[in-house]
Amino acid sequence: MALFLSRIRRRIQSPTHHLLSHGAALASLLEPTGGLPTTAVATLLCGEPARLFSSSSTAAVAAVPMTADGLTVDSIGSKGWTILPEAESDWRSHAAAVAQSVKVIKKRLKVRYSHDISCWGSIIERAKQMALVLERPDLWDDPVFAGRVSREHGELMGRIKSVNQFEQELIEHIEMLRLAREENDNALETESMRALADMRRSAKEKELHALLSGDNDSYSCFIEVQAGAGGTESMDWAAMVMNMYRSWAQRRGYTVTVVEEMPGEQAGIKRATIKVDGEYAFGYAKAEVGVHRLVRISPFDSAKRRHTSFAAVAVIPILGDGSTRYQIKESDLRIERFRSGGPGGQHANTTESAVRIVHIPTGITATCQNERSQHMNRASAMAVLQCRLDQLEIARQAHINAEHTQSLNEISWGNQIRSYVLHPYRMVKDLRTNYEVSDPDSVLEGDIDDFILNFLSSSLDEADVSA
Amino acid sequence: MGPLSSPSSAAAESKIKAKQPWRCSPSRPAPSPHPSSSVRTAARTACASPPSPSPPPPSPRSRRRCPATTPPPRGTQTRTRPPLFLRPATHPVPASALAAFRRRAAALVPASAPHLHRHLRWLLADASTTSDSDPALFRAPLDHIESLWLGHVRARRPFQYVVGNEHWRDLVVAVKEGVLIPRPETEAVVDMVKGVEGFGGGWWADLGTGSGAIAVAVARELGDGGKVFATDVSDVAVEIARFNVERYGVQDKVEIRQGSWFEPLQDVKGKLMGVISNPPYIPTEDLPGLQPEVGWHEPKLALDGGRDGLEHLLHLCEGLSSALKSGGFFVFERDLTSNICASIWQTNGNKQSEFLVDLISSKWSSSFRDVKAVLDFADIKRFVTGYHR
Ligand SMILES: C[S@@+](CC[C@H](N)C(=O)[O-])C[C@H]1O[C@@H](n2cnc3c(N)ncnc32)[C@H](O)[C@@H]1O
Repeated sequence: MALFLSRIRRRIQSPTHHLLSHGAALASLLEPTGGLPTTAVATLLCGEPARLFSSSSTAAVAAVPMTADGLTVDSIGSKGWTILPEAESDWRSHAAAVAQSVKVIKKRLKVRYSHDISCWGSIIERAKQMALVLERPDLWDDPVFAGRVSREHGELMGRIKSVNQFEQELIEHIEMLRLAREENDNALETESMRALADMRRSAKEKELHALLSGDNDSYSCFIEVQAGAGGTESMDWAAMVMNMYRSWAQRRGYTVTVVEEMPGEQAGIKRATIKVDGEYAFGYAKAEVGVHRLVRISPFDSAKRRHTSFAAVAVIPILGDGSTRYQIKESDLRIERFRSGGPGGQHANTTESAVRIVHIPTGITATCQNERSQHMNRASAMAVLQCRLDQLEIARQAHINAEHTQSLNEISWGNQIRSYVLHPYRMVKDLRTNYEVSDPDSVLEGDIDDFILNFLSSSLDEADVSA
Repeated sequence: MGPLSSPSSAAAESKIKAKQPWRCSPSRPAPSPHPSSSVRTAARTACASPPSPSPPPPSPRSRRRCPATTPPPRGTQTRTRPPLFLRPATHPVPASALAAFRRRAAALVPASAPHLHRHLRWLLADASTTSDSDPALFRAPLDHIESLWLGHVRARRPFQYVVGNEHWRDLVVAVKEGVLIPRPETEAVVDMVKGVEGFGGGWWADLGTGSGAIAVAVARELGDGGKVFATDVSDVAVEIARFNVERYGVQDKVEIRQGSWFEPLQDVKGKLMGVISNPPYIPTEDLPGLQPEVGWHEPKLALDGGRDGLEHLLHLCEGLSSALKSGGFFVFERDLTSNICASIWQTNGNKQSEFLVDLISSKWSSSFRDVKAVLDFADIKRFVTGYHR
């Protein structure tokens, strides 16, 4: 109780510190308290503050955070409070929005983790059961089983805890707001309100992340685009698709680097690879794997006819450092570099530094021409090659996620996922989800999050149905 | 992928450059096979500071900048200026002016030289800060950049001199007229050296260090006790090598000494774990036919290998056994036309080299082992390596 208040006081002292991370929140709870306003203590004593703080044990996780007057995140969700735009400073609206997100997150987690159980409560139940199994003295007699159980338990607990902490945070902010109002503390009130609005935003992010709990989802990735048959028009289309991903990635705050680009003779690209660096890049981008179709009047056709062209997209996760799955043997590589044909060395001045590496046993290649020295191009090309081979290895070993880990060579041109029509009408339609928008320009400028999210949630729903 | 290792960020660049004022070469190489007079004019404008309508930016550095119209007296050290890519970005260029420049610059690119589009991109990248701001901030006034571009396209001034650097291995090596632009082939030398047992703690010599590229790259891989002695006769080379050494903060590992080949290394004679050299190896008679970027602009001192391109190589071979300690390693870069150097140790040399083989092979076969020719990435026998017995 008193501990909770100490946290509030700290906040008053440092107004810039408006959203504590979970770690910081826990740390601050352990601090000694000073003299407290008695009214505040009285208010808070009515609640069950012990429940606010989850410990690492399953039992504590199961406890439901609650405000002094008995509000829980679930009850907030069912109150039917109107959700106003974020700019409106209305705590009920913020709280309701967060509660709604929590509901979505729970649903998504349920689907992702436990197809055979039907509610959040049973997920917790399952975690508890697994904890019991983990305590069995003979558990490690079967190390494979033990490993599986402990992994699933760990994962489940991690997810549950993060939802719980989030719920707890919401309750705390509501309490703080009430406290601020009681004490006429405007600074604290403003700050709590802002914290609630911030939570609303991060809740939306978390909703997304709940969609992204696949093995490699959190990694960076390469995105490759290849033009279909059809000459300049389809090469131009491939370049448009690549641009769409570059702006999408930049909007999301990812770092984009061109690794390889084979320009078309007149316009566009035959093929290109970019590296998208940042958390969950693969998780999102994998939703784009497949063939993208364009219908328009081609600017390259003097007869102004309507053309249909295709571009294939592949996405490869970049596994975190040290987790390469495939051991490359130096002797299996053929490294091709630009040769001037002349005597080279001191005789020549060249800035051509493209490097292509062929992995002879698999025939897989990687090219890099983005860097200005051969040495660096070689290093980048090796990184791409490593990822391609890792991907192959993952697919081979697991046979899962197969649709997301195809390389461009394997994508069949029949696997169309989205259609972009610029003429005779204007529309972009995802053929998997039927999600569509009527503004192709904004989509081509990188506004594809809705397509991605729709696809990701629909694939979870499918998993739900098939469970 | 951001530009490379340590001193790559703008902040690091400016910190580094502050340490070492940049002195321009007092002498400029005279274009030898003269291009047409208009082209020469372009070359001159490209290399000198252009008349600038705007006053220089209010930076302490501007004081040191000499007025464009009065070149400094030859041979003085008064004119100091960092290479383009390291100058402060103080010249605002509106997006519209930049776009117009891009169009004009691209229009100069002949269909036969598509690589110039890449150079244009890099020039703009090196000459400005990376942000997309409008106005963009440039390291020189746009008309200066334009004259640099003309000098590159028309007068064939090497791109690396224009921007003042060459990306070499994971380094961005500063270069300027008067010093050889390090070649991509030479990158491999560092890997060969790294493969030598006990490499990290040894003493190494980089003879004819030029920009210092090899010395810096090797120094960055060395461990405790490791050291590189980098020598060159050229004033400009010594100056720039020193600049690069400091830019990468390897002063503790690289000792630069001015002098001819082994001459400045008398005190470490017999103590070297390895000798590395990329000496001038182009036969004198081939110099007039060189690619303009090379023949017109790079220092003859760095290219001219004398008769058969072997003069310096032979001199180096001579000094090798007394410089290296027992078991020491050497690698020389050489020319394919001077096949002779490999054949000195290998079976039969071609006719041209026979007298040399006769002259020295007997003497050397007893001093060296595992001597071999090593291919470069274009499968040309580019290097000779071996060990002192
Ligand atoms: C081909 S360049 C090599 C530069 C540098 N090591 C590189 O690989 O980029 C040859 C260098 O040898 C230097 N040089 C020429 N004659 C020399 C001599 N007698 N003693 C020492 N260095 C010499 C030149 O100044 C030039 O820097």
